[in-house]
Amino acid sequence: MIIVIGAGPAGLAAALAASRTGTEVALIDSATRMGGQYWRHRTSVTGYMSERADLLFSKVAAAESITHISEATVWSAERNGDMVKINYLQGGIENSLVGEKVILATGAYDRALPFPGWDTPGSMTPGAAQSLLKGHGVLPGQKVIVAGTGPFLLPVATGLAESGAEIVGLFDANSPVRWSLSLRALISNVSKFFELIYYARALKKHGIRPQFGRAITAFKDGVATVSRIDSRFAIVRRQSSLQADVVAVGWGFLPDLSLGGILGCAQKIDSDGTVIFSVDSLQLSSQANIWIAGEATGIGGADLSLIEGEIAGLAASNQEVPHSLLRKRARKQLFADALKRSYPVRDGWRSWLLPATTICRCEEVKLEEITDSVSELGAEDSRTAKLFTRAGMGLCQGRMCSRNVSDIVSGVTGCAVSDTERIAGSNRPIAAPISLGQLSDGNIRL
Amino acid sequence: MSNAQSFAFNGQEIEFEEGQSIAAALINCDKRELRSTRFGKEPRSIFCGIGICFDCIVVINGVSNQRSCLIEAHDGMKVESGE
Repeated sequence: MIIVIGAGPAGLAAALAASRTGTEVALIDSATRMGGQYWRHRTSVTGYMSERADLLFSKVAAAESITHISEATVWSAERNGDMVKINYLQGGIENSLVGEKVILATGAYDRALPFPGWDTPGSMTPGAAQSLLKGHGVLPGQKVIVAGTGPFLLPVATGLAESGAEIVGLFDANSPVRWSLSLRALISNVSKFFELIYYARALKKHGIRPQFGRAITAFKDGVATVSRIDSRFAIVRRQSSLQADVVAVGWGFLPDLSLGGILGCAQKIDSDGTVIFSVDSLQLSSQANIWIAGEATGIGGADLSLIEGEIAGLAASNQEVPHSLLRKRARKQLFADALKRSYPVRDGWRSWLLPATTICRCEEVKLEEITDSVSELGAEDSRTAKLFTRAGMGLCQGRMCSRNVSDIVSGVTGCAVSDTERIAGSNRPIAAPISLGQLSDGNIRL
Repeated sequence: MSNAQSFAFNGQEIEFEEGQSIAAALINCDKRELRSTRFGKEPRSIFCGIGICFDCIVVINGVSNQRSCLIEAHDGMKVESGE
């Protein structure tokens, strides 16, 4: 049996490709419906090229050899001889599956940067705004600002406007001029122009004028501060104050590496500093019989995830992978690299912070506590700073703040964050919280 | 009697649509503040929206640390902000 973890674009493509030979496939996902975060929906998917999602859903649902295990949260995985055991919680009940082969397609979540007020109600990630709207049919607010960087801000802003929210502002920290650094990627991905035109029309229809080189640098009592920033993200001047009940701010995405990390899959640092998995040309990880597809092998969006998933599914079920598919992946990877070059996140965000700005949301650790742990207590890296301050030791296990804490500590010590430190900060012993009661009920070994 | 489904949030009845998460139903009723923090008693709401950040945790039927962005609302649930 092949176990596919994650039912977003990569996982769906992997499950479908693997099922073509009649191989038994278990597709595990934590949500009720297929689609992952990207194709989140209540009845059917909406937005650019959404019809391909519904087609994929119906194909997966119709494939007899695929069993879709929904609402199941995988919290750990272990090697059992040649087999892999996947432990999951479904409706509060601990269960497990054993398979010869595993395809990890666990996706990514919004990268958040701290700023004064980012921890107050009304401040959320664009992903949260999207999830409320598409997954639950609820507008996150009436007057919304969408900001941060990257192409994901476009579907969020236009989707909210389409549903009746007033988009008070759409601010990208980077300038579109940066795309001129990646002409080859643009020429080999002409289809992306159609997507851009689609969103340009939608923005125009709703009277939204995106502004570049700007960031939300504070949010308090329903008022957001918009600042003009330079290419290093340092504030040039505070430009205006805008009234908004929601600021949805996101800085690209971070993959969730927990499960692959537990299984010992080798990791590396991507060109944008993100920790990702090393995989070979067929998406095989450093561990035998564990393939990884989608955002966890480098943030690249749904198009790339679909291709990577298909390659992993074919390889895991011993089918031949056509060269044309590998060439298609190379083209999409070129575009993914261009995205990273066009929407970088620069260190200057650290200058937006105040001493009392919360950095670790879970443990309520403020900037001054982290800087003091370095300058007064002698912490030399984020691991030591974390032990002094508890930053990154709360319920989210550092998923939100560990990268930011590393960058803040590095800013004080003047030493660059090492690859080892980045990789250590992205791994955790369990993939999802489990209560001691649930642990003690079953025969679970950690 | 109406057919609307509802749960109690800190004692107040909140109506919801089938399939909505607890956090979504609360935000739909303009209840943005889901809890206050342990040390600073600062108000917190939904942040990542997909179960990663644990900022939206509430007590559901007596069980604490439940992510309100993930858990679907059910009729008659008792939801509290907790300590």
